Amino acid sequence: MMYFPIIVVLLALSFVGQEFLPAIEWAYYARLLLVHTVFYCVAVTVPYPVMLLLAAATGFLWDARYYVPVHQTGSDQAELAFGFTMLLFGLFGSVIQGVRPLFRRGRWELPVIFIGICTFAGLVIQYLVISFHRGGLYLSTEMWFQMLMTSLFSMLASPLILLLLSRLAKWCGYRIRLEGITRRFSYGDSL
Amino acid sequence: MSRVNVIVLIGFVGLLIWVFLFGQDTVARIQRGAQSAFNPVISGANKVEEVVTGLGKETLSVVELSARLEAAELERDRLRLEVLRLDELVAENDALRRALNYVENSPLKLVPARVISRKPSNWYNTLVIDKGRAANVAPDSPVIVPIGDQAGLVGKVSEVVGDDSSVVILLSDEVCKVSARIEGTAEQGILSGQRGALRVMPDLNLGYLSKDAVVPEGRLVITSGAGGLFPGNLLLGRVKTFTSGPLTGEATVEPAVNFDVLTNVFVILPEPASPEAAKAVEDAEEAAKAKGEEGGGGRATPIEP
Repeated sequence: MMYFPIIVVLLALSFVGQEFLPAIEWAYYARLLLVHTVFYCVAVTVPYPVMLLLAAATGFLWDARYYVPVHQTGSDQAELAFGFTMLLFGLFGSVIQGVRPLFRRGRWELPVIFIGICTFAGLVIQYLVISFHRGGLYLSTEMWFQMLMTSLFSMLASPLILLLLSRLAKWCGYRIRLEGITRRFSYGDSL
Repeated sequence: MSRVNVIVLIGFVGLLIWVFLFGQDTVARIQRGAQSAFNPVISGANKVEEVVTGLGKETLSVVELSARLEAAELERDRLRLEVLRLDELVAENDALRRALNYVENSPLKLVPARVISRKPSNWYNTLVIDKGRAANVAPDSPVIVPIGDQAGLVGKVSEVVGDDSSVVILLSDEVCKVSARIEGTAEQGILSGQRGALRVMPDLNLGYLSKDAVVPEGRLVITSGAGGLFPGNLLLGRVKTFTSGPLTGEATVEPAVNFDVLTNVFVILPEPASPEAAKAVEDAEEAAKAKGEEGGGGRATPIEP
């Protein structure tokens, strides 16, 4: 079970890497959300309880590091509460768990697409919550493009991370189990 | 769903509720801990960046170094003489001030700070500076930068994370609202950034102007000092366009500060330097009010670090 400590280290390293990833001008100032991408990739490879534990730890650490406590005048409630990232990671980690069986069967396209969709959806939810607090929904083309480019960067990075995780799993002797469809497909049949 | 999954899910939801109920102090303490943990990484990276930046610089021969040293020594001697002369002038100035019973008017107490990182947030325009509680930086402290011989407003301190770290929310963010006026006119309004402003120099909105205002393009926009949060006469930008609405007018303002190239900034400390200075601020405000009633416009504040 060396795999689990290794993915914890990988997630910790992704936080260090995130510090040095700049916003890219030609991509509407989007940046690769490395921690999100690594977490979603890890979520494809681990059982549901482990995913939830990692969602709690990663989301907590993200908010501890990057949370900006912005309050509207006269309100004690922050726009995005501390712990909101934990909620998003838990929610989208659960969604991504749905494509674990496909990943185990060697299909990486759908997990990659799901990682992009989850990144995009997370940004949209954050924006909607902020808009709710500030009143009025202001949408600009640039903003949509920025969110799309952020998701695209996640999708571009995720095959590499999934490949790394597959190699690590093989090296550790960890089998990415077919939970959810184990009753329909046995482990051996699916290969 | 297996029993283990259900138990872990319930635990996760419970943890989430617990975290959501954290108070501001708890959150600040957690962030301080995270900041301390990441400090070695950030400072290490800054040192590496300095070394790498230094690698690209030209290497000088011994002759060139000697010439530069000689020039530097000459400059040092010249400056020593100048300091002596200035000391005499300062002493003379002090004597004259005492003679006139003049109160020292230096209301801005500035702390220099270095930009150490930016938070990778999609929705907030922020940066992190290397000054915090140890330097008496407080939330809402204005942050400025010299632009020529004037002081341009960068934003305000959103959160003091630790003894040597604070988060600054930039003027380009919608949350950072500043009471502003257009130089040379009686027009006052509220300046703020745009939601989800992505560009390096996003236009700012100056709202709540008179709908019939005459606002020439290129006119300077400065802080009005109203509300007490930001000192008056800090440079904000220049008017690009003006549109008149049914009730109020709104101007688009090009920011004076380039938020992308900020490396060193100054934080204005919340308290004036001394009781005399506090009195000087009050006197200055009263004088400005009296002047404003006469319809006079002000100049942007010269920076006095």
